[in-house]
Amino acid sequence: MATISLDQVTIEFPIYNARGRSLTEELFRRTVGGYIKSDERDHVSVVALRDVTLDLADGDRLGLIGHNGAGKSTLLRVLAGIYEPLVGRAQIRGTVASLTDITMGMNLEASGYENILLRGVFLGMHLNDVRRVIPEIEAFTELGGFLQLPLRTYSTGMMLRLAFAVTTVVIPEILIMDEMIGAGDAAFVSKATARLNQMISGSRILVIASHDMEIIRRFCNKAALMEAGRIVSMGAVEPTVSAYLGAGSS
Amino acid sequence: MREHVAAAFADFRDGFGDWRMWLLLGMNDIRQRYQRSRVGQFWITLSMLVTIAALGGIYSYLFRTSLRDYLPHLAIGMVAWALIATLVTDACTAFTGAESYLRQVPMPKTVFVHRMLVRNLVVFAHNILIAPLLYATLGVRPGWPILLAPVGLVVVTVNGFWIGLLVGTLCARFRDLPQIVGSFMQIAFFVTPVMWKADQLPRQVSWVVDANPFASLLRLVRDPMLGVVPDGAAYLTGIGLMLAGFAVTIPFFARFRSRIVYWL
Repeated sequence: MATISLDQVTIEFPIYNARGRSLTEELFRRTVGGYIKSDERDHVSVVALRDVTLDLADGDRLGLIGHNGAGKSTLLRVLAGIYEPLVGRAQIRGTVASLTDITMGMNLEASGYENILLRGVFLGMHLNDVRRVIPEIEAFTELGGFLQLPLRTYSTGMMLRLAFAVTTVVIPEILIMDEMIGAGDAAFVSKATARLNQMISGSRILVIASHDMEIIRRFCNKAALMEAGRIVSMGAVEPTVSAYLGAGSS
Repeated sequence: MREHVAAAFADFRDGFGDWRMWLLLGMNDIRQRYQRSRVGQFWITLSMLVTIAALGGIYSYLFRTSLRDYLPHLAIGMVAWALIATLVTDACTAFTGAESYLRQVPMPKTVFVHRMLVRNLVVFAHNILIAPLLYATLGVRPGWPILLAPVGLVVVTVNGFWIGLLVGTLCARFRDLPQIVGSFMQIAFFVTPVMWKADQLPRQVSWVVDANPFASLLRLVRDPMLGVVPDGAAYLTGIGLMLAGFAVTIPFFARFRSRIVYWL
């Protein structure tokens, strides 16, 4: 059983201007006391999420919609456990995979095979488990002899194929996606889609942020509309999508 | 606060447990730096060798000592100092250099401190190849005290862990700290008996060495390799530094661990 429970989570990013970030300035301020006026301290911060409360359980497929900067990616990062909230509580139970950057951890100088190991370890796999899935990845990527060459000799599409193949090898309980990932040429796309669908249906909870309403309609059974860091409405997909589209046209 | 401390210890435990990850990352750092160069990572050894040869030639004249006496002191000293100094300066980028990872995956933060330690120990392993070369050419035999060298190395590395965690976190928050740390280590190099010997100092200024924890750490690695058993005071300083360091770093890390990602 996987669950996600956010209780009034607020995420704030302090923006340190050049002065705030410098230690010399910090020391100076401490020693000289009230010389520098407090309003000159410029404590600016960006509130990326405001009072977000969210409960998800097995079977939930949540689509996050909203304009750029509405807080979708920040929320995904909270769900992935990257940002631990300083205000509010976040409890995430279950294994999480975040497909926000599928090439993360790959090394351009290392060979394809080494990158499979590298990427696998980043996904939390044991080396032996990664070795076991290598034949499957070989077959899936169809990269053949290229797997022995350094990654820098690959085209962007080939690199994505490899990253995609390794990333989708483990099915997590909680799957987090920032936009649908697509990879490669026409022949590969159908294969990739099939594999991705398998991963999505195998996961217990899916949270995906997308600007493509077709994707939200196809994969989700719930949707949340975000605006300026808040979830302004959450419920069935169709009314939420039309609320978003309606707001956009008016 | 209690749950913060528990989370910090969980980070220690999981971070250490992720040894595959930090071993891989640390080794890759080295490989990436020297990839596609002809002698590869042996550039590390080579450039250290050149530095030692140049310094050794000049300073044995300046100090009017024989090369045979001075060179081992300088060579092993430089190699050990390089480890200690880069552990401190490299600590500055432990977290800022891992931004792409930390912002994408929830990982124990200490993984990146271990990665930094691995990277520097690999460099040390290349540099220390100079020692047998030296023993062979100068006919020096360190004898059994050399068995104490790994002990010194462990003390240095464990101290490197808390330094990495503390300095790494501070440097993520205060971006001009790396420059300050850099200058600080530059000065530390001159007041630590790397190029000179502690007994060259007049009595009244010997506190420069006695009060210098870097000098103790240096002795713990260098002395055994020169066939000398380090005195107990050096071990006490090394272990005391370790205990004091962790006593400061654990509450500090517990307090700020979750903030690191926000600062990147």
